[in-house]
Amino acid sequence: MTETKPQVALAVRNLNFYYGQNHALHDISIDFPARKVTAMIGPSGCGKSTLLRIFNRMYDLYPGQRATGEVLFDGRNILETGLDLNILRARIGMVFQKPTPFPMSIYDNIAFGVRLHERLNKADMDARVQDVLTRVALWNEVRDRLNAPAAGLSGGQQQRLCIARSIATRPEVLLLDEPTSALDPISTARIEELLDELKEEFTIAIVTHNMQQAARCADQVAFFYMGRLIEVDTADRIFTNPRQQQTQDYITGRFG
Amino acid sequence: MSDMTTSSSGWAPNANGARRRRTDKLATLLGMIAAGILVLVLTSILWTLLSRGVTGLSAAALMKPMGPPGSGGGLANAIIGSLIQTFLALLIATPLGLGCGIYLSEYGNRQNRFASCVRFVSDVLMSVPSILVGLFVYQILVAPFGHFSAFAGSVALAILAVPIIVRTTEDMLRLVPIAMREAGAALGATRWRVTLFLCLRSAKTGVLTGILLALARVSGETAPLLFTSLGNQNWSFSLNRPMASLPVTIYQYAGASYEDWVQLAWAGALLVTMGVLAINIAVRLSARRG
Repeated sequence: MTETKPQVALAVRNLNFYYGQNHALHDISIDFPARKVTAMIGPSGCGKSTLLRIFNRMYDLYPGQRATGEVLFDGRNILETGLDLNILRARIGMVFQKPTPFPMSIYDNIAFGVRLHERLNKADMDARVQDVLTRVALWNEVRDRLNAPAAGLSGGQQQRLCIARSIATRPEVLLLDEPTSALDPISTARIEELLDELKEEFTIAIVTHNMQQAARCADQVAFFYMGRLIEVDTADRIFTNPRQQQTQDYITGRFG
Repeated sequence: MSDMTTSSSGWAPNANGARRRRTDKLATLLGMIAAGILVLVLTSILWTLLSRGVTGLSAAALMKPMGPPGSGGGLANAIIGSLIQTFLALLIATPLGLGCGIYLSEYGNRQNRFASCVRFVSDVLMSVPSILVGLFVYQILVAPFGHFSAFAGSVALAILAVPIIVRTTEDMLRLVPIAMREAGAALGATRWRVTLFLCLRSAKTGVLTGILLALARVSGETAPLLFTSLGNQNWSFSLNRPMASLPVTIYQYAGASYEDWVQLAWAGALLVTMGVLAINIAVRLSARRG
């Protein structure tokens, strides 16, 4: 009998989130299917990035932000106190809106994250760096200048480097917060192709303002409005025949 | 439609126009005069320094220690003394200032009472007259031990350097985008690792500039050394005894009635100025490369 892999990577149950007094997310419940792409759409301030930042407990960096409810990941509620955040963040990686290359060489940008969690010898580290750079289709562009500063790469290359950096720690889930909004169309297309390949191995949650992007990349789409989850369904269903009027209005551009 | 392009009424001279152009010219002129005066004063100082100092800058001045008037003494022990004391001062001030700046930027946010206090005290310290710092160190490191010492001089200089390093370190670290810190944390890096290997590394040019500026600032200080390292006519490498320094030597020699001492004071002043100039050029270069 083959090993059955869990069908749901992240299960959100009755999640509420507060920025101080501001109640930003209301009673969210949603499943993120394993090895699928789930896109979160909605107008600015609707809470989609907030939700994403709960999955790796990024909000812990800031006092006054708190979450209640449950987010189940590998049998544990990741919101519970005492959870090892550094392990959580190694298992749930994140890529941000703006490319954030670290002030070091291309090679070290990848190795930095890996060294936090594993001890690899030089050969294994080299192999890991080559592997992840190949998977983000950057290897051929940078193989001759791995020791050059990462800041010298173009915006699109930097963002692919950031994705490579995130998958180098071998996470199970990859969170992407508007990863292409700062990029030109060609770089955007390359990253979208990349998502298609990455979902073979990772569960992907992507926040996007770009409806076409959600339609192109996502298996499942969740529409948020004013801190509430309005509707979640397959991408086909959301973009052709949504159940809710608000979703219909948003995807047809009547507001947002 | 054609009179849209031929109409000239919109371009008619405006009553205010001439007056506004005059005011504009006047403001530019005033600015240029102020800049001119500043440059004139500065070049005059530098020219005087250069013309009087160069004649005193002989091999003997650089190689021989100080001596009685007319004995052909030099400045060598004062030069070395200055280097030792400022270097030691930086050695004390840099870790303190860096640590404090890192604390203020990374751990002490605006609501934190203790951090606000530290920031305030550091800013006040920056504008305390340096002679007060000299007296303070005299009270804690000279009077109790019964003798002046180079170490006390270094401590006094360090106290002056610390707030400069604190301020630039904090400012430079605050310029590092939040996104960098979040990206580090998102990989599972602990806070100190993010601070040390990402933030401080991004800000390293600015932080280095702050340290060099502090060095430039303290290398010309005289008052704090008068009460601490005192000065010394002879070679001394002991931190536990009085040590000569260029600024104090300039102070002693410039007012003397011996021709050769006055000459050496000019030479010393030129040396200090060139040193500070070199540091400032280094700052510019490092800022450009960063």
